[in-house]
Amino acid sequence: MESTQSTESKIIELQPFTDEMIVNMGPQHPSTHGVLRLELRLDGEVVREAIPHIGYLHRCFEKHSENLSYPQIIPFTDRMDYVAAMNQNWGFCLAVEKLMEADEEKEFAIPERAEYLRVLICELNRIASHLLSFGTYGMDLGAFTPFLYAFRDRERLLLLFEKVCGARLTYNYIRIGGVSEIIPMEPGSIDEQNFLDEIEEFLDYFEPQIDEYNDLLTSNSIFSERTVGVAVMSAEMALSYGATGPNLRGSGVDWDLRRDEPYSIYDRFDFDVPVAEDIPELGAVVGDCWSRYKIRMDEMKESVSICRQILAEGLPDGPVMAELKAVRPPKGELYFRSEAPRGELGFYIVSDGTPKPVRVKGRSPCFSALSALQELSQGLMVADIIAIIGSIDIVMGEVDR
Amino acid sequence: MDKYIRNIYKGVYTVLVGMRITIRQFFEPNVTHQYPYEHDFEKKQNVREIPKGYRGQLYNRIEDCIGCKKCEMICPVDCITIKGDKLPKGEQLWDSMNVVHLKDGREIIGILDGDDKKIDLQGSLTLTNTTSRLGPQEVIDRLEPSNDDTRTQTISGDEVSRVVTRNPVVFYLDQFDIDMSLCMYCGLCTEVCPTECLTMKDSLEGIEYSKFDRTDLIFEFDKQEMYNKDDESSIEAAD
Repeated sequence: MESTQSTESKIIELQPFTDEMIVNMGPQHPSTHGVLRLELRLDGEVVREAIPHIGYLHRCFEKHSENLSYPQIIPFTDRMDYVAAMNQNWGFCLAVEKLMEADEEKEFAIPERAEYLRVLICELNRIASHLLSFGTYGMDLGAFTPFLYAFRDRERLLLLFEKVCGARLTYNYIRIGGVSEIIPMEPGSIDEQNFLDEIEEFLDYFEPQIDEYNDLLTSNSIFSERTVGVAVMSAEMALSYGATGPNLRGSGVDWDLRRDEPYSIYDRFDFDVPVAEDIPELGAVVGDCWSRYKIRMDEMKESVSICRQILAEGLPDGPVMAELKAVRPPKGELYFRSEAPRGELGFYIVSDGTPKPVRVKGRSPCFSALSALQELSQGLMVADIIAIIGSIDIVMGEVDR
Repeated sequence: MDKYIRNIYKGVYTVLVGMRITIRQFFEPNVTHQYPYEHDFEKKQNVREIPKGYRGQLYNRIEDCIGCKKCEMICPVDCITIKGDKLPKGEQLWDSMNVVHLKDGREIIGILDGDDKKIDLQGSLTLTNTTSRLGPQEVIDRLEPSNDDTRTQTISGDEVSRVVTRNPVVFYLDQFDIDMSLCMYCGLCTEVCPTECLTMKDSLEGIEYSKFDRTDLIFEFDKQEMYNKDDESSIEAAD
């Protein structure tokens, strides 16, 4: 620096780089949503590179599946995305059912009642999952109250799930060919009426609550300062990284498998797909952390609307389980995708006609979303990393599988 | 400057909006309980009711178990170990019986009159040679009067929740171990059980998982004296 001081023009050369520092963030960091280790190359407080190190929760789901029969794999899918386990069960069951449809000799149809129960329960599970995402995102960014409110409401949903399948987190409720009958619920019985009434009561309570949460956190100035305009993921970038679900819609791509490739009975319901838009008065641009977060808040309303449509129709009569003698798909292979709360959940199954699959691959939406972190975080501050991880809403159990 | 003041106004206003919501909570009842201080199990105070069908600890009623090994086969984590042997030819532990599960939790064992494949729950069921289990003591006293061979019980069909056929046992179970440290509580084994003897307890009473040794978590359900034929109390139903 002495050379610059000696000249008359007194040009001070700013050193663009200082010494780089490598900092470990995680694996036990509370805002990494599980056990994610980030290796941060820092220049002061500016992140030059954030390298995610994953695998702390690896449980060999795919290898396990090769040694288990199809019904036995369902409890293992519970452990993938443990926040929305019903949707994981469903994704796997849909794939196996699709594979079994190829066998024309053994025809079966999934009963209507089972389809309605599946949609009802999975939409409630989607609400529970987004509630957890909303609560923990608030806590990551320094607001503790939304966390308590979200868990208070999620608890009511978990109690509902407990009544219908006997477990709070790892449900094992949706089976190949229907839903579990472990707790019998006869059509038209008092049990069913109580169950539906309880859901209705929850929805009546919860719908105005979403607006309250928007007042509490979404429009909060401190929260929006941390999230608006941070880590903008363009539509091209989202597509090239394979980000799906709320992350993709947060980048402005209008794509929802429930509407665009309707599986099960989703084509019978009327619901909107929220897509992010620029909001000039707030400064939010499509693809930033705030947009991704807002999509989840809007999706909860749509889930409430789907549940209400089912309650208005009422559950149809009939059995909840198709008449299947054995789960033995024919020889062949298939990839089936469904819309889980975190995005496109796909299962690729190779069958050789035996009761056990030759190969199962789970395509997890969180894994793809996490891969975008490295590019999103370049040039931002350390505190923004927390905002990004919360906004892409990853569950490490699903990343590592 | 204008923007500066607008920022301050926006910051204060949005925080006040949030404060209004939190202040409203002051006037609503508490959601949380101060766990060790506020609950009382005996008075059922602040104790959450565990719903029927909750998937709790596994329990096997070994006297109904026929050793079919279906649960061992379906278990995804291989936590059940069964070893059994056939009895010598011609011997069996009891004749075919029926177990009537009542809605209040009692169970009555006996032989149903008529064809037990076509049970009409609208009318009433007549059971001969009955005994009852797991009921209140006064019920057991009432159901087990002096006459040994003519214990007959008529049950109204409204009370019955389900009827299970208990086949004669030709299997002798040497080992029925469940390793509860491996169990993942999926409930698949209870669904395949043909006699419904393997169940998951839907209460938390008597569940104790804190042990100093991991092998203490292997529950051995065969260690009951039921196979001793001289012990009348356990195989009373078979006589």
